Amino acid sequence: MSRPTSEIKAIPRRIVISDPSDISGSYSSTPGGTLFSTTPGGTKIVYERAFLMNLRNSPISKTPPNWEIPNSIALNGNRNEKKTLPTKKSKPIKQITRSTNGFRDDHEQFQLEM
Amino acid sequence: MSNLTETENDKQEKTEQIDIPIDYSIKHPLQNCWTLWYFENDRNNSWENNLKEIASFQTVEDFWSLYNHIKLASELKQGCDYSLFKKGVKPMWEDEMNRRGGRWLISLEKKQRQELDRFWLDIILCLIGEAFENSDEVCGAVVNVRGKGDKIGLWTSDANNTNAVLEIGRKVKDRLRIPTKVLIGYQSHKDTMDKSGSVTKSSYTL
Repeated sequence: MSRPTSEIKAIPRRIVISDPSDISGSYSSTPGGTLFSTTPGGTKIVYERAFLMNLRNSPISKTPPNWEIPNSIALNGNRNEKKTLPTKKSKPIKQITRSTNGFRDDHEQFQLEM
Repeated sequence: MSNLTETENDKQEKTEQIDIPIDYSIKHPLQNCWTLWYFENDRNNSWENNLKEIASFQTVEDFWSLYNHIKLASELKQGCDYSLFKKGVKPMWEDEMNRRGGRWLISLEKKQRQELDRFWLDIILCLIGEAFENSDEVCGAVVNVRGKGDKIGLWTSDANNTNAVLEIGRKVKDRLRIPTKVLIGYQSHKDTMDKSGSVTKSSYTL
């Protein structure tokens, strides 16, 4: 009467990001290859703490946010620049800007504390 | 012409100096879209009017861009809160996602002020990085900056889902490196609302 039943297992869809190469180059797909826009709950994008911390100082992460930040919580400038950029060493950055064609360089985008 | 060559060389040298191991040119998508709220204690306003929605983000870079340009929790005035919740969930008990839920509460002593920013950042990274097995149960987190002692709460949506609540609590304790002997409690929002006196009973303790 009894017939063998197969063991029930969860579908392994948890994907841990531990290396940059785990990330898909395309905006529309998630790591693991599924479509970002069509897999609600299907794939879970998990980031390790170290990986997130690593992206903290990437150029995009340092860009001022688009949102309007109320004065009561806004920082003047960027926390990281404040701490790590010694006042006079910012000059070489200027030179890079100047030598890169195609970018407007006649005015500074950020005010640095000199 | 010699000028041009020099610039070319300059450029090349500078390019060589830049050695980036991670592809910084793409934004890394998050599983969820998250909203940052800010609460300022202004007695002339109602509680709800003091609560401000600041920004929503769904990539790692957009999170950092926000975080890098706002004050740390320890730099806020007393009586203020930051909240980070999944988009669409309001940081209040009344929200449909929170009504039956509760929070893991980490109470800091006055002298632990320097721990506050580390705890809050680590909680955020757990949220946006989806560190919890039961991350569907997670609604968000709140940091209360208070003179008598700061608090961080991690809110989940179902206080009766024992397995999920405990898994999340253990993970929080682990990731925040809270010593085993220091206990943290989980309180349902209902108990917090109904409490008589200043102490709310904990449904779970870890």
